[in-house]
Amino acid sequence: MTTSDSSSSPSSSGTESADLNPSSDPGTNSERVQSQLESMNLSQPSEVSDGSHTDYGGGDDDAEEEEEVASANGNEGGVSNGISVREDGLAGASGEEEVEPSSSRAEHPVEMEAGEEPPSPTSSGYDGERGSSGGATSTYKADDASEDEIREANVDGDTASQHEAAWLPGKRHVDEDDASISWRKRKKHFFILSNSGKPIYSRYGDEHKLAGFSATLQAIISFVENGGDRVNLVKAGKHQVVFLVKGPIYLVCISCTDETYEYLRGQLDLLYGQMILILTKSIDRCFEKNAKFDMTPLLGGTEAVFSSLVHSFSWNPATFLHAYTCLPLPFALRQSTGSILQDVCASGVLFALLMCRHKVVSLSGAQKASLHPDDLLLLSNFVMSSESFRTSESFSPICLPRYNPQAFLHAYVHFFDDDTYVMLLTTRSDAFYHLKDCRIRIEAVLLKSNILSTVQRSIAEGGMRVEDLPIDRRLRQKPSSTSNQGQDTSGPERLRDVSVGTGGPFGLWHFMYRSIYLDQYISSEFSPPVTTHRQQKSLYRAYQKLYASMHEKGLGPHKTQYRRDENYSLLCWVTPDFELYAAFDPLADKAMAIKMCNQVCQRVKELENEVFLQGASPFSW
Amino acid sequence: MASAGNKNINAKLVLLGDVGAGKSSLVLRFVKDQFVEFQESTIGAAFFSQTLAVNDATVKFEIWDTAGQERYHSLAPMYYRGAAAAIIVFDITNQASFERAKKWVQELQAQGNPNMVMALAGNKADLLDARKVSAEEAEQYAQENSLFFMETSAKTATNVKDIFYEIAKRLPRVQPAENPTGMVLPNGPAATAVNSSCCA
Repeated sequence: MTTSDSSSSPSSSGTESADLNPSSDPGTNSERVQSQLESMNLSQPSEVSDGSHTDYGGGDDDAEEEEEVASANGNEGGVSNGISVREDGLAGASGEEEVEPSSSRAEHPVEMEAGEEPPSPTSSGYDGERGSSGGATSTYKADDASEDEIREANVDGDTASQHEAAWLPGKRHVDEDDASISWRKRKKHFFILSNSGKPIYSRYGDEHKLAGFSATLQAIISFVENGGDRVNLVKAGKHQVVFLVKGPIYLVCISCTDETYEYLRGQLDLLYGQMILILTKSIDRCFEKNAKFDMTPLLGGTEAVFSSLVHSFSWNPATFLHAYTCLPLPFALRQSTGSILQDVCASGVLFALLMCRHKVVSLSGAQKASLHPDDLLLLSNFVMSSESFRTSESFSPICLPRYNPQAFLHAYVHFFDDDTYVMLLTTRSDAFYHLKDCRIRIEAVLLKSNILSTVQRSIAEGGMRVEDLPIDRRLRQKPSSTSNQGQDTSGPERLRDVSVGTGGPFGLWHFMYRSIYLDQYISSEFSPPVTTHRQQKSLYRAYQKLYASMHEKGLGPHKTQYRRDENYSLLCWVTPDFELYAAFDPLADKAMAIKMCNQVCQRVKELENEVFLQGASPFSW
Repeated sequence: MASAGNKNINAKLVLLGDVGAGKSSLVLRFVKDQFVEFQESTIGAAFFSQTLAVNDATVKFEIWDTAGQERYHSLAPMYYRGAAAAIIVFDITNQASFERAKKWVQELQAQGNPNMVMALAGNKADLLDARKVSAEEAEQYAQENSLFFMETSAKTATNVKDIFYEIAKRLPRVQPAENPTGMVLPNGPAATAVNSSCCA
């Protein structure tokens, strides 16, 4: 038993996963299917003492490393019966979304087998029990096929916006359950269940068919809880099983995507927040009244909201930076938009936001009201993923989990065009006509200053590009001293290193700059060579690791980090004012990269009035 | 509340009914003459306005298309309070949606405006093969509860204009336009809210 800390240490990036993935003989797979561990092995391996499980040891020298629980007090949660962790060919090579060529993945899966859950007072009766929310999910079936096709076609999509657009609404693969091979092969599962084991949400498959599986997850959590402990993470080969307990709601992620534990946990947090946004935390009371309360009907019609959020984990840096991003706009335009929003807030509106897709054009809040970036993320995800908001003006109750998880606010939503929309939030349920008035006033200002077309142009042009970064001439003279990349210093005004390929100067491929004071970030557009969906996702995952290691508790604050692997050279720089994450060509010169980062910071400072929303700062924490 | 004057009538109309009955589809057909095969679930409520000319009056409908999802049920009074008309929609291929419609009728009879014009719409009338609720059954129920009933199809546009037109025709009879003192406002605040509306 190891009390593990799953996060990568700053220096071990490329190799971390390797030692968890010892070679294994595919031939043993079939045996493993049989080898059901009666002990979950959550605690000391010595507890796996039953002689009948010798086949587990055979060919499985990695067993003890494979299953680790990171818990506050790992050695107390002895598990002695019932729950079986079984290994077989769960993880196939090609998840629908996470296509990775690695064939070794197939050998190190874990699967919670529902068949042998321990008798528990709460587990009776819901196997096969079906709630009443039928209609809503089944209508999406027809979309499945076309969605997969589009997805494949988009694998080589170019830009971040295409990346965004690759997502299509709807629940996927509702015909699957835990007995389906295809379901088992999915690389990343999300589950929400109640503390009595009832399924609430599953990313893939029909929740009701997953009742047994949910009960197993519940059994694992409650077993460890009964020992006075808490299960946070189970590692099994390439798989991580991350648990998050929020009162009567349990959230579980099972993933072999090699993301950090911290980020997976953060994703569960956001998933929970999204649910609170729809229902408020008062949902807890339903479980107090009736432990077997079935929550799925209450979430009817929201599959698209969750699947869009899950999709955003792989393309939207706001999900791990906990900051929001603004649409680049001329300072004066943002000012005039801001002042009308401020006027509106002065008339009794709590928050007024003008957004373009997931980017903020401007926002304002009533006095002393502050909006957390995570709330903004969840709110814009909710609005963007629900087609219904686009047909007309809408008035809907929503809850901002970070603002007040207990209470509903009322949101007025109106789309001015396909991308640009206004959200007006109030505490008053009878304020619709007032908010509609406000919208008309805002619209008049937007039309008068021609702001909507400027916004359209800006979203089409995108944000900062590494190719456009001005090159300091002094820098251009120097890099010839480093020979390994053969940089050509006699290039044109904007140096593009031919041998290194493409991207910005000195092998800069991409950067993200987060202003700590403003709670905002600016990210460069993706440029060659980071063009495909997969490359972008992989870069974000590298950033996430970097972010996690920079923010790791206990290791003290890091200020800079430079790491190089076969894919990138990554540089991170954290100061009290900002954080900079930059990706370079793996062959880039370190000294030049550092200089380049200074240039980026300087450039962002020059543009800060255009790329950031200044002064509004309802984000005061 | 319907308010009349100069032959212009403003009428708040609310659509109620089960998930997937076709409330949004009916409204979109009426207001925009559009139809989408896979209409997404409505969130909260959507607001539309549409004007109809009936005989010698012009009726401006302010339409609240409510969400059928269970979590929004407690909000329904916010929308039917002060409404001059309601369309209760069910899906003729789904018996449960008809039962749900009856519940809405009961709730409106108990809580709503007593002069409300209520219409019962049996939607998806194009799906004859899958019919589960007979026209006779619905018609009989409508008569017993003094609603008027129509089978509609948002997909083929059958009876969609007609049901709104029929409501518009019935509105002045409930609240005669020639009454210069206006009508009794059983629900003051909601009526004020409507009057303060600025929609074009």
